[in-house]
Amino acid sequence: MGRERQAIKRSGSINRLEATRHLVNRAPQALIIAGPGNAKFDLADTGDRPQHFYLWNSLGLAPSVGLGLALAQPKQQVIVLDGDGGTLMNPGALVTIARLAPLNLLHIVWDNGQYQLTGGQPTATATVTDLPAMGRGAGLQLVATVTTMNEFEIGLETWLTESGPWLVVAKIDASPAPARPPKDPVWIKLRFMQAVNKSN
Amino acid sequence: MTWTDIVFERLKANALEMVCHVPDSVIAPLITRVEADPFFTVVPLTREEEGVGILTGAYLGGRQGCLMMQVSGLGNSVNGLASLAIPYQIPFLILISQRGELGEFNPAQIAMGKAARPLLDSLGIQHFTLRRMDEVAALTDGAIKTAYTACQPVALILSTELVGWKNER
Repeated sequence: MGRERQAIKRSGSINRLEATRHLVNRAPQALIIAGPGNAKFDLADTGDRPQHFYLWNSLGLAPSVGLGLALAQPKQQVIVLDGDGGTLMNPGALVTIARLAPLNLLHIVWDNGQYQLTGGQPTATATVTDLPAMGRGAGLQLVATVTTMNEFEIGLETWLTESGPWLVVAKIDASPAPARPPKDPVWIKLRFMQAVNKSN
Repeated sequence: MTWTDIVFERLKANALEMVCHVPDSVIAPLITRVEADPFFTVVPLTREEEGVGILTGAYLGGRQGCLMMQVSGLGNSVNGLASLAIPYQIPFLILISQRGELGEFNPAQIAMGKAARPLLDSLGIQHFTLRRMDEVAALTDGAIKTAYTACQPVALILSTELVGWKNER
């Protein structure tokens, strides 16, 4: 009674750390906002840099932070790395990004269909929910889904060169993310703001 | 001059150029004013907590801003304030249209209205209440200055003593 009855789908084959490494190599100047959970852990694993902003909590707000930054710095490439849990926490962010439509925003959702950090409880994307369709329904025109590393690498060349806002749902595996970024929020902020200033 | 005219002028004079809002009938004329002025970037939200994230990103990018909402939205914003704006020290102005005090007709507005100031106090967010026309300009300027000095959000509460209430029963 009242339990989720749909079969749980297998998550994708992309390794989040490998894809994050590739992204950082291809977009070394980009300003990157990383959502709470494994998105920020794997970003830290690629090598901590000033142009990384790590959210230590605030599930759901990574794309909102990215939107504000993209509007404030329209000439800078802004990349948001978030998970399926964060996206489902604040789907309104997709709506607001679609309304404001900043050309310089690339929003990547690492989707493995689970709250990986808390024990792998399935998210709604493991059964019934279609995040790319939610993005399109919110009004986003540029939505991509990739399920293999090869597709991610090919797609990235487009997402980095053609105006956005892009929503990319990357189906990833469930590899753990052991790295940890710096933990002082004010230091993270001040260092990031210096990086923004230098890039102007 | 109405309170709307004065707050509009003070937002502009203090360069709070990004305005994030969920509409409220009291704040509506102010939203109309900022939308008509290209100085402002206006971001309509689906939920007030989004605005905490957007104003954080804007501040990281060197822009100042204001989050406008009815007091209900404060409840919707709590974790964003507690986990992002406060620990990362992100300043902005929060303009709150108060409900649940003098002249309220809606029973579902009372509890959040009463909780607003204790909630702000428990988060350590300074707040000031606009009650009279002759104090609107000074309190708005002062709240903005303190927010950017403290690197914290500061709230301005629009009381129904200033903005009135509906005749509805």
